Amino acid sequence: MDSTNLEQIQRRLRVAYEFGRLRLALVGILPVLVIVAIAASVTHRPMSALWLGVATVTIGATMLWYGREPQRAVLPGIAAGLVPLVLALRANHIHACGLDGCSTLCVPACALGGVVAGLAIASVGNQRRAGPLFWLSASGLALLTGAMGCACVGYSGIAGMAIGFGAGMVPGLLRKAFGGKGP
Amino acid sequence: MVICCASDARAAYASCVAWAPAYAAESAEVTADADSALDPLMARLADGDRSAFTPVFELLWPRAMRLCTSMLKNDADATDAAQQAMTKILERASEYDRRRPAMPWALAIASWECRTILKRRLRRREVADEAAGESAVGHEDEHVQRQLVEAALAAMGTLSETDRETLIATFWEEAASASGATLRKRRERALVRLRSAFRRLYGLD
Repeated sequence: MDSTNLEQIQRRLRVAYEFGRLRLALVGILPVLVIVAIAASVTHRPMSALWLGVATVTIGATMLWYGREPQRAVLPGIAAGLVPLVLALRANHIHACGLDGCSTLCVPACALGGVVAGLAIASVGNQRRAGPLFWLSASGLALLTGAMGCACVGYSGIAGMAIGFGAGMVPGLLRKAFGGKGP
Repeated sequence: MVICCASDARAAYASCVAWAPAYAAESAEVTADADSALDPLMARLADGDRSAFTPVFELLWPRAMRLCTSMLKNDADATDAAQQAMTKILERASEYDRRRPAMPWALAIASWECRTILKRRLRRREVADEAAGESAVGHEDEHVQRQLVEAALAAMGTLSETDRETLIATFWEEAASASGATLRKRRERALVRLRSAFRRLYGLD
């Protein structure tokens, strides 16, 4: 068999390999679709949750297809993002009433959830001695997942979660930077 | 190396099926270096490291081709089988279990593909044999039928003009010079005479 034929075969097999990975990625991301459906049906802003959910599913599937560090970041990212998501969805139904009127506890819940998510990602990242791609991928996915619930009060909820997330990451990042001698 | 040399497709299939698992074990021993090199490469490929794709292909392709050529005894079939096997192996590369050696796993898939092609070849052969048998029977029937018609025509030749006309009107639906009860009686008589003429000529009804 000549080299041209072998090259053609190799190209076809490469396509088969990529399709195999894509199939697995699509199967692997199915649970996230369920999470998106639940979030969209529970939240007060289903359209925002849906858009953020579509972004989460797309990016998650791409990470699973790509492999390596981004693939390994999918599970921790989604799991960490579930904390602000669940807290925000619960907080939507709780109101704090004062003299000026009532307001939801969405923003504080998102900030708290963000802190927990940040701590969790940093902990897993340090435990695995993961590279920057893992930190970035897991953080992005956690923020997107949490944002489905934190969109309850618009951008302020998402911003609250992001600030909390950053704060939660600080100890882990310091530990990484100083080789485990930090806080 | 064991060679599947049976000319009959069924025998070839049986001998190759019996031999294929032994081939995988034998090859694994002989080329242990290549096999051990494949394991980490396959693990990298499973992890999504595309730079491992070409080395995996270069290690697997010749082994799969050699196995399929030995089993199928036909270059075109062997190439098809090896390609199908490689497609399946690489489609499932992400599911590769890194606790197990990669080469026996890959060769098991390749030998499965070869068996599928052998089965298909055997089935095709059986269908062709059946079709050939049916056409032989068809030719024989046609020949007998032709002989019978010729014999009947020869027997008819010994009959009178009226009998012949009656029989032709009966079997070829041509207009006869008589009709109704007369025709029925004539037909009966003509048939009796044809039968006796046939018996006289050929000794049977």
